[in-house]
Amino acid sequence: MWRIDPASDDPLYAQLVAQVRLGVAHGTLRPGERLPSARELAASLELNMHTVLRAYQVLRDDGTLELRRGRGAVVASTATDLTDVERAVADLAAAARRAGLSVQTTTTLVTEAMHR
Amino acid sequence: MTTAPPPGAPRARSGTEAWRPRARRATAWSSLVGLLFALGAAVVVRAWRDELPAQVASHWSRGGVPDGFMSPTALVLVGLASTVALCGLFAAIGLTQGAAASTRRITAAGCVWSGAFMAAVVVGTLAPQRGLADPSQVGLSGAALLTAVLLPLVPAGIAAALVPGDPAMPAAEAVPADAPRTALRDGERAVWLRRATGGPGLAVGAVAVALTTLAAALTAEWTMLVVPVLLAALFVTMFAFTVRVDPSGLTVRSAARWPGTHVPADEVVRASVTQVRPLRDYGGWGWRTARDGRVGVVLRGGQALLVQRTGGRSFAVTVDDAAEAAALLNTMADRARSR
Repeated sequence: MWRIDPASDDPLYAQLVAQVRLGVAHGTLRPGERLPSARELAASLELNMHTVLRAYQVLRDDGTLELRRGRGAVVASTATDLTDVERAVADLAAAARRAGLSVQTTTTLVTEAMHR
Repeated sequence: MTTAPPPGAPRARSGTEAWRPRARRATAWSSLVGLLFALGAAVVVRAWRDELPAQVASHWSRGGVPDGFMSPTALVLVGLASTVALCGLFAAIGLTQGAAASTRRITAAGCVWSGAFMAAVVVGTLAPQRGLADPSQVGLSGAALLTAVLLPLVPAGIAAALVPGDPAMPAAEAVPADAPRTALRDGERAVWLRRATGGPGLAVGAVAVALTTLAAALTAEWTMLVVPVLLAALFVTMFAFTVRVDPSGLTVRSAARWPGTHVPADEVVRASVTQVRPLRDYGGWGWRTARDGRVGVVLRGGQALLVQRTGGRSFAVTVDDAAEAAALLNTMADRARSR
């Protein structure tokens, strides 16, 4: 499923990028799987086609997707394995809950750690 | 996630029978057109009565030598009876199962094709026998047989196009509270896209095409090659479909762009997940119509998205992750009602 929240602070293309990365991390998007065409996705989500193309380009540049003429966007066989990150995040969420931290505080901690 | 009862068990109460007059209308005029084709052939044969031998060739052995003879009148009667029988079959489908427009289109096309095919067979059989003293010399042309099969597809296609689509039937009641939903914020947009594939279709298609090609090659009858070509075209349209759930509702379209169908969100009574047994529930694979106006795109057994639709109709498509699709479709149906 693809979702777009125009009310969110994140840019529209970044929302698409995040979903593809999550899909790959969760294993719902497997290497070799073909993503919908930019035209189809744009029409269904009432987006400009360039927004979708921009998202696909970002994902190609970081190695998540391969863009092939005629075949469209395909999940790369070299797409980063995020299972370690997934496990660590699950541990972090459990620890934060035990400590009684709010989602916001936990997110702030993660953001801080990422910028360190 | 709740699994729906087997398709056919739950039926919307209101307007369930509203399709019957539409089915009767489509069946009546298409049967009439089919019969008129067969009667037209009878009129043509009558005009030829002085030119035709008393006994005409009506059946050919494998070598193309006539081995069956009857009077022209008997041939016309056989054609008429076959038309009535074939058309009756299609009429029965339309009258008992014609809740969905696609089923009524099959009935109309089938009736018109039956009549036109029988007319073409009768006229095509007799035309080369005019003025012949000895009908045992007449050959059977593969091209004529091919024409008799293919040409009637034109009026049949026109008949299918003339059957009006289902009228808009927005649901009066809300989607049941216990139906699964997708949590979407106000203004959030969502779409679910997936390819429905799998099942025996590809393998069966390849084998069927290979066997019919082999048969044409062995009999050296080039016109028979049309069979694998038609089969290939049929299988290409039937083995992969794209399934899309978006604010407009559910859209299922063949990878070959045709055929396809759309269930508007405001006609969705309830979407759920069901288990499909192709033979028992839909009588086979591909684009199926079954009892009670059930339509299914059945590519394999197992998990399917089932949409109960207004007017007592239902539509199912065998696709993975159907639970996610069902939840989003229910949410889109909610939104369509509040618009």
